[in-house]
Amino acid sequence: MAAADAPITPEGQAAAHAARQAKLRKRSSGRLMIFGFLSPSLAILLFMVAYPVFSLVYYSFFNFSALRQATMKPVGLKNYTFLLSDPELWERFVFTGKFVFICVTLQMLIGIFVGYQLQKNFRGRDVIFTILMMPMMLSPVVVGFLWRYMLNSEWGIVNFLLSSVGLPKVDWLGQTNAALWAAAAADTWMWAPFIALLATAAFRGIPETIYEAAEVDGASPAYRFFRITLPMSAPVLFIALILRLIDSFKQYDLFVALTGGGPGSSTETVSYAVAKTAFSYFYTGEASALAVILLLIITGLSLILVRHLTKMSEKY
Amino acid sequence: MTNSRTSMVDLVTRWLILGLLIVYTIYNVGPIFWLILSSFKSRMDLFTMPPKLFFTPDFSGYQSVFGVGAAKDSASSVGVFDSLVNSIIVSVAGTSLAVFFGTLAGYVCSRFNFRGKGDFMFFVLSTRMLPPVAVLVFYHLMFARLGLADTRFGLVLVAIFANIGLATWIMKGFFDGVPKEVEQIAIVNGYTRMYAFTRLVLPMVKGGIAATAGFCFIFAWNEFAFASILTTTQAKTLPVKISAASGATGIEWTQICAAGVVLIIPVLIFFYLIRKHLLMGMTFGVLGRR
Amino acid sequence: MAEISLKNLTIEFGAFKAVDDVSLTVKDGEFVVYLGPSGCGKTTTLRCIAGLVPATSGDVLFDGVRVNELSASERNIAMVFQFVSLYPHLSIKENIVFPLKARGVAKAEIARKLDWVTDVFKLGDELARYPSALPPGARQKVALARAVIRDPAVLLLDEPLSAIDEQFREEMRWELGHLQRQLGVTTIYVTHDQREAMSLADRIVLMNDSRIVQVSVPDRMFFDPVNVFAGQFIGSPSMNLIDLEPVAGGLRLGSSDVTLTAERDRLPQWALSARRPLKLGVRPINVHLTDDPAAGVVLPVDDVFSVGRERFFSFRIGDTIHQGVDKRSSRNGSEGRIHFEPEGLLFFDAATGRRVGAEDAA
Repeated sequence: MAAADAPITPEGQAAAHAARQAKLRKRSSGRLMIFGFLSPSLAILLFMVAYPVFSLVYYSFFNFSALRQATMKPVGLKNYTFLLSDPELWERFVFTGKFVFICVTLQMLIGIFVGYQLQKNFRGRDVIFTILMMPMMLSPVVVGFLWRYMLNSEWGIVNFLLSSVGLPKVDWLGQTNAALWAAAAADTWMWAPFIALLATAAFRGIPETIYEAAEVDGASPAYRFFRITLPMSAPVLFIALILRLIDSFKQYDLFVALTGGGPGSSTETVSYAVAKTAFSYFYTGEASALAVILLLIITGLSLILVRHLTKMSEKY
Repeated sequence: MTNSRTSMVDLVTRWLILGLLIVYTIYNVGPIFWLILSSFKSRMDLFTMPPKLFFTPDFSGYQSVFGVGAAKDSASSVGVFDSLVNSIIVSVAGTSLAVFFGTLAGYVCSRFNFRGKGDFMFFVLSTRMLPPVAVLVFYHLMFARLGLADTRFGLVLVAIFANIGLATWIMKGFFDGVPKEVEQIAIVNGYTRMYAFTRLVLPMVKGGIAATAGFCFIFAWNEFAFASILTTTQAKTLPVKISAASGATGIEWTQICAAGVVLIIPVLIFFYLIRKHLLMGMTFGVLGRR
Repeated sequence: MAEISLKNLTIEFGAFKAVDDVSLTVKDGEFVVYLGPSGCGKTTTLRCIAGLVPATSGDVLFDGVRVNELSASERNIAMVFQFVSLYPHLSIKENIVFPLKARGVAKAEIARKLDWVTDVFKLGDELARYPSALPPGARQKVALARAVIRDPAVLLLDEPLSAIDEQFREEMRWELGHLQRQLGVTTIYVTHDQREAMSLADRIVLMNDSRIVQVSVPDRMFFDPVNVFAGQFIGSPSMNLIDLEPVAGGLRLGSSDVTLTAERDRLPQWALSARRPLKLGVRPINVHLTDDPAAGVVLPVDDVFSVGRERFFSFRIGDTIHQGVDKRSSRNGSEGRIHFEPEGLLFFDAATGRRVGAEDAA
């Protein structure tokens, strides 16, 4: 292209040659860059994700315990059929589902509401912002212990406050339903600020003139919020939703510290069950099968969600 | 036009919003306040009913976290202070490396089209999606075989793996915000792509790198599942150590609360410093150009 | 449609007075253009009429009713912004009907109005697309359609054409003027481009430094500027401004030794006897090269250049370069004399910059 326009003089030919060389160099340097920049990540992914996942699938077909590694008995699909016919596992899925639903709903509602208030400019916003974000900076284990401490039925602050306004005390961690709500309250306490953070970032990304146009067009504040603010930040809010959906689905740390899976095994999430099977009972084969099931669900879920996200952000 | 009815609605809405904000603030800040207060309470004061707001502060929790005073651990395991040191080493090293690799990968994903890019991006993201306990079933065996169990190096490896996906995605978002012309002009002027990347593009996303590092640090610093299963004695991190802080006298609430406060301080400082970038940049590049 | 009045409107941002004591009435159906350099307060005035910026003092009246306390959404105005402000998540159709939907207009009515604007703006093919798929010019057309779909009391346009390609801008300008006359909607248009103002306006409001400089129809704005600023802001190339010094029998041009005389150059008598120092303003179209040795003066001519059919030349007085139009058919003798058309001579007070005529010369 450039070469065709160049006059046929020694200088022109030299220039064309140099351009060709530069183009070649550019292309190969691009390849080199892609390869060089991606290989560390790829190596880590292969070693820490692909290899373990394939091994898990492999182990899931064996009757095998980490304690007695010498005896590995192939059992085919037995681990899976056993798990899938086990009513206890279904209970865990139901509990996990309830937990995810409550958490994500509360967190999205609170996060969007608080995020909308925080996007406005007001004095001291940065400090208030940082203070409100504190729960998500804590370790989930600390959060679990803190809420366990506050929710203690006898000397916890929550029951003290309830009884001081004349409400009955609740045995928060001793009853199945109360424990579910306690865990949801702790998880929401921790993660609603995260949604608020992402929502604020998304809301502030909407140009001022869009709001002005909407105001001039006669849209009420509520109409503006639902027809402009929310849909325009939908892709970011959807990312927040994906992250929280997946994270609460695999929640483990919080339950270790808050309920220990109790009362009984009523607050065991699927993750908790994997850990218990693998590291308390050392049924490694069975745990592998359960882990594979969990992985399939989460991967499937995130594939669907991410595909939807891509479709969503393509529109803009 | 402006009549009394609409202004009544406005007024009610405003009070409702204010009320909800106050309720939320109590829910949000209350437990933090209680955590800090309790970290200074002696065992006696912890269980007093009604709870005391004023009491003689007791520093035993902090003393044990920083390894001074009476509260010394048995010789069989690392002390609480050693676990704090472990936490610092693992999360700083893990965060730095995850952000480094994530920045490289994020740049390539932002600027180049290559075969399997979508798959790679999803593969990377899967590290964020994977339930730790699922891979732990195998890590447990793998780490034992490779001699990585109960080592800081093993935990650093885990920290990189666990954060590289997030780092790549956030950094890609920030790189998407840098116009492609930046490199094009440099290349036209005879500089290499590498030069353009290191000298021109990287300085433009400094804030993004800080924000990414902030997020990765929060996750690495607070990580529990991996550290609790993959360590037994020497490499325990602070979150793991305090979860075992239940001695003969029950759970050491004061020590847990003190550790919680100590754990949150670096994150708090970090967060405050990078708050601007968190607000402006956390849109993962999905909002497009406006 | 409505008549819009501003009464002693002042808008302050902290210590900065963006608009200073502006009064003006825009008649029903009139097309008024606010013209001025950036930062002169024209956009702020417009935004105040819209209700997006509060007035610090003074009143905004719609048909004689004070609307200061009404929000933008309550004023029944429509506005088109400088930077395209279409809703990116809505289709073109959804964008256009947004103002109607926001006000809860009935579906049948919305459909009817949509058909009407689609027809007027010829947007039939674009309705299902999204803003990002359209070029900037077409987006602004959609913004205009969105603005007029609900019969606003007043149409406010904030530099609507400045972000559009030159080629398309011309076409849009023409369409806009045509549309305004067709709809008869009161229109206030803000721009810094004097050509846009001259071609569109019924009346131009020239602003500078937060104040109104001059309000008049485009022609008078050109031929009858009230001060140096007005004279120089309107017209392209810009009006030449030359210092004058009274000497015996005439006025000397700046630092040159050339004198315009009453006789040869037909200077008005009052200008010769003015007590205050004056400046001469003369537009390039009123400065010619002539081969007639009895007319004009001799000044060094720097350059003669053509822009399309017109031939310009530049000449120097002291260090200042001025321009004129060479209307001679032949190109020879560029070393000609320079003739100032007497009808084109404007005199300004050298100290205040105000235009000076026969009546206030003494």
